[in-house]
Amino acid sequence: MRRWLLLAGRLALGVIFVVAAWAKLRAPWIEFAGNLAGFQLLPDWALEPIARTLPWCELALGVALISGIWQRWFTLIASLLLGLFFTVMVRSYAVGLQIDCGCFGPGEALGPKTLARDFSMLALAVAVTVGSFRTGHNRTSTKAEPVIA
Amino acid sequence: MMRTLLLLFPALILTGQTAVKTSATAKAPAPVTNYKEMGSPTAAVEVDAYTDYECPHCARFFKDFMPQFEKDYIQTGKIRFVHRDFPLSQHPHAQLAARFANAAGEVGAAYYDIVVNQIFKTQNTWSVNAPDGRGTGDVDSEVAKVLPPGAMQKVRELVKSDPRIDASVAKDVNMAMNVDHVPSTPTLVVVAKGKRDVISTFMEMPYNIFKQYLDQKIAQ
Repeated sequence: MRRWLLLAGRLALGVIFVVAAWAKLRAPWIEFAGNLAGFQLLPDWALEPIARTLPWCELALGVALISGIWQRWFTLIASLLLGLFFTVMVRSYAVGLQIDCGCFGPGEALGPKTLARDFSMLALAVAVTVGSFRTGHNRTSTKAEPVIA
Repeated sequence: MMRTLLLLFPALILTGQTAVKTSATAKAPAPVTNYKEMGSPTAAVEVDAYTDYECPHCARFFKDFMPQFEKDYIQTGKIRFVHRDFPLSQHPHAQLAARFANAAGEVGAAYYDIVVNQIFKTQNTWSVNAPDGRGTGDVDSEVAKVLPPGAMQKVRELVKSDPRIDASVAKDVNMAMNVDHVPSTPTLVVVAKGKRDVISTFMEMPYNIFKQYLDQKIAQ
């Protein structure tokens, strides 16, 4: 049962990252750069490189989560990334910035709904990460150990 | 098999991207009436701006963004600029304001820019952004301040009865909703090599970042 829950959680996380990446990649990089600029945290020079690469990283992470490769480490990366996103969003909301979240493409204002959704995703990621570490679930560790005579 | 499918994800996404852009290009209608256009008609890059006269960000767009943008790209003939109307349903006087601007353009192309600027400049007196939170919707008296009486009379007549005015606005709204899928106002659509890039977050970023992107498009 626990194993199935872990699998479902990991697949859900993977799909979330793929969908988020797809929404950003189908728009021009400048659109996501505008979202990033809205958070008022990054220097100007960093906007283009991050806007161009972050969606591809999200896509790679999503694909890795779906495939189950190095599950413990990729779920941990997902948790850290979602933790970072959530912290930035809470900070922006707290200081009263009226901006787009930019999480799943344009046109989604940052507010209680987006915060609640991102918190749920973070909670899921943390649960899957803890579960993965507890069960020692890692595809690389399932290889047969050589028998030493 | 599963691995192969997973590796194909990025390729599928890129294919999807191409399909979206191609369909948007195919549906693009004929150019709008001339008074809504500025810059070089033969420029390789076109920038369409969707605005709503009652939206405060759009007023800021005309006040802060447009002067520099006009100087860098329109006056130099690097782009063709098209102003498009996208009055939002939550703004009760936006459609009327768009009718006044388009009527002014019909009376004389030179009047269009004058009236557009006046409507945005006085937004806090007639729109929902007025101190009372509702606004009077009295666009007429603001427009009358910048047009000669004869031209103003013709504008009033057009606003009152000419179906071309509503048709012009409806054409832009249709394009915003069905071709460019504009999420908010102001939104810019950069058209280069048949591809339409919809950018709704440009007001959040420093002007030089947008300039960097536009220069890349022009250089392509």
